[in-house]
Amino acid sequence: MASKRRSTSSSPAAARRAVVVGGLRTPFVKAFTQFTQLDTIALGVAATGGLLKRLELAASELDGIVWGGVILPPTAPNIAREIALDLRLPPRVEGMTVTRACASGLQAITLAAAAIERGEADVLIAGGSDSTSNAPITLPPKVTHSLAPLALGKPTPGDYLAALSQLTPISEVLPRQPKIAERTTGEVMGESAERMAKRNGITREAQDAFAAQSHHRAAAAIASGRFAEEVAAVETKRGWVHTDGLVRADTSAEKLSKLRPVFAKGGTVTAGNASPLTDGAAAVVLMSEERAKSLGYQPLAAVKSWAYVGVDPADQLLMGPALAMPKALERAGLTLKDVGLVDMHEAFAAQVLSVLKMLGSAAFAREFLGRDQAVGELAPEDINLFGGSLAIGHPFGATGARMVTTISRELAQGDRELALLGICAAGGLGAAAVLERVA
Amino acid sequence: MSDMLLELAQNQAARKLIQRVGLPIPMPATLTRQRGPAVERPLMDRAVLFGGQGELTAVLARTLVLAGASPWLADAALEGAFKDVGEAYGRSPELAPTDLEAPQPGKQPRYGGMVFDATGIDSPAALDQLYLFFHPQLARLAPGSRIVVLGRTPEHVKSAGAAAAQSALSGFTRSLAKEFGKRGANANLIYVEPGAEDRVAGPLRFLLSPASTFITAQPLYVSAKARWDGELSWVRPLAGKVALVTGAARGIGAATASILAAEGATVVCLDRLEDDGPASQVARQVGGSVLLADVASPEAPSSIARQLEERHGGVDIVIHNAGVTRDKTLARMKQAHWDQAIDINLRAVHDITRELLGGTLRDNGRVVNLSSIAGIAGNVGQTNYAASKSGVVGLTQHLAEEVAGRGITVNAIAPGFIETRLTAAIPVMIREAGRRMSALGQGGLPEDVGQAIHFLCTPAAAGVTGNILRVCGGALIGA
Repeated sequence: MASKRRSTSSSPAAARRAVVVGGLRTPFVKAFTQFTQLDTIALGVAATGGLLKRLELAASELDGIVWGGVILPPTAPNIAREIALDLRLPPRVEGMTVTRACASGLQAITLAAAAIERGEADVLIAGGSDSTSNAPITLPPKVTHSLAPLALGKPTPGDYLAALSQLTPISEVLPRQPKIAERTTGEVMGESAERMAKRNGITREAQDAFAAQSHHRAAAAIASGRFAEEVAAVETKRGWVHTDGLVRADTSAEKLSKLRPVFAKGGTVTAGNASPLTDGAAAVVLMSEERAKSLGYQPLAAVKSWAYVGVDPADQLLMGPALAMPKALERAGLTLKDVGLVDMHEAFAAQVLSVLKMLGSAAFAREFLGRDQAVGELAPEDINLFGGSLAIGHPFGATGARMVTTISRELAQGDRELALLGICAAGGLGAAAVLERVA
Repeated sequence: MSDMLLELAQNQAARKLIQRVGLPIPMPATLTRQRGPAVERPLMDRAVLFGGQGELTAVLARTLVLAGASPWLADAALEGAFKDVGEAYGRSPELAPTDLEAPQPGKQPRYGGMVFDATGIDSPAALDQLYLFFHPQLARLAPGSRIVVLGRTPEHVKSAGAAAAQSALSGFTRSLAKEFGKRGANANLIYVEPGAEDRVAGPLRFLLSPASTFITAQPLYVSAKARWDGELSWVRPLAGKVALVTGAARGIGAATASILAAEGATVVCLDRLEDDGPASQVARQVGGSVLLADVASPEAPSSIARQLEERHGGVDIVIHNAGVTRDKTLARMKQAHWDQAIDINLRAVHDITRELLGGTLRDNGRVVNLSSIAGIAGNVGQTNYAASKSGVVGLTQHLAEEVAGRGITVNAIAPGFIETRLTAAIPVMIREAGRRMSALGQGGLPEDVGQAIHFLCTPAAAGVTGNILRVCGGALIGA
């Protein structure tokens, strides 16, 4: 965490730069376990409140909160504002909530950075949260359409009978099991990953090996105390939760190879090499570089560039980072070789490995980027030095802030100058950002 | 309108029973048709077998991969052409199994398409490549699949032997079409002129896609005649274009108007004053406008041109679909009937096109004229009609040469037996014969003709001009 020291020297007048001052998250736990009683707002309160406390940042310094989420509470979708109110922050600390599927958390951070660069704000909290355990069980449209007149109008007894008579057959009116499926294609995301594995020649062995690596590295980060500095314990009715619940130090590619494919007969995607449904929240504090210095914070990293892209969800749903990462690099005037640290969201091992293959392909670069040379070769062991979503879990909106926290802190260690983040998201979206060390 | 045999064939139990008992009743296949507008990858994840050492390997590889096909190669030597594009799009080819006796488990592709590049066949002896490619693989052809053979126009090859071999492709594909028609599969031939290689993607995608349902046993000629700036758009290919469809009130005209509109065109629906009602209805449905005119009247050409200029500043696509039959043997035919058929079916097409070419039809435009199989083949009682419809062929071919420099293509469509109001009025025995006497053993739908017209109107059909494309299900009559 950034040490607090008052700076007396004033920084030179230059273009405003947004810097990450600190970050914190709740433990990430499997859905329907310890956090079931905490909704996404409560999780956001835990991460945000904990972060303010760790940074010893006075609420009076805050300008606002930008939050990302995917499963938004229907009655209070602006989670950011609810967090501010629940934390009893000054009423003027405004809040907005954004959604861009799994890139929502990074979206919140880059929106905050943009606002700071434009001079709209000096101190913002940005992050995200999701509670799959609290996903509202939605009723089929047929039920909504027949019951809405009763709930919203002035129904007569006859209307009740008419509504009831529409509720057949029973199979059409029972709540349906929610699944992560594309609205346009109806394809479940695991099926998309399965197809990407097949088309890009990603073997089961490679996927399991990558998943094992993710677990081992995350376990090492827990054991070394690295994650303890990024994670705040959360109190539940059944006691305190201190650490991540999904990471398995004792797993291996061999053990993972025994799991059955979930999405296709003879397929390769299993529960072991896919990211699990997770509850959790993560937040970072972003400031203008000047304000950070004047408040006495040593920034961890600056947000240098970012990019968002869209691809056809019917083709290769999760290939977005292969386009977004080179785009973000280009905007920063960099190539992959300049970057010492690459961190990718691991929706599926198959997806990460497919993207690595695309980045390493000159043919891909020619077709999709209009360049002669490949973006760059990255071996699976070159990326995600501290594990990723496969092991740690993936509360959709929280992943972006988790990645920015871990990577900013690593940059602040001083060994590397630049880091590249990549995230794939539903709807065929891709996101990327470049972070740089602040000297 | 309804085809009883087709309905019977669609009933699984009845189909099985008839086949088991061995009744000599033809069982036409249920044809696969395009649902909804054109898509980026019409061959999405369909296994397509590719073979032949020709001159088109690279462009065909690229076309197949970008159209979403999963390529299977008959020959490992072809892998090089697929390497880069396959890697970029995640569609690397697989080597097709040929051993029918002991097939490998898990490697049992059912081919939704077969593409053979025969441009390299330069002698009669080398025709064995056709046999060697198709013979071991035909058992793996899925119902409703598409076969496309690509060759060089015989008049453009260097030796008599090569001309013989390239000409042989025609009889070969026609026969293949007839052998697989009862399974709802199509087989067609694309003749590619030297220099037109880069224009083959559009025609190939079309002939492999469900949109080409009722086209089988046909050659398509691809040339570099018409000026082309390289424009290609697979999705909403007609966005921003203005299309005039004559005879749009019903049948083929209405189906065409609706398809062109779904692909982004603003459609002007032209029909006679008496058909104001149905024409307006079509125009409303497709979000277009109505233009009421008698195409055969002397003032029609200038009035149509003026209205297109005033409303849309010109026109990009002209579909001459309006037509009539006035059947009588020549000995008993009144001159009025002769005149009406010629005037509406041919003279109006000529006069209106001439007028529109004077500045109303924009560069890179498209003209599609409706000919007819009956017209080409000749028919008792149709001297007038056949004269007009075969006249359309000459008109089309001449105009195609004339306007190629402006990027305008001119083609004709010759429909075979299409289920319309016209064919529903044919006496039952003759109608039945008309339906069955074709490779596919059934009538086509107006939308099948509409899809063919739509293809000719797309930017991707820039290589197709002066063609007479039959949409006839492989009809046995006609040349």
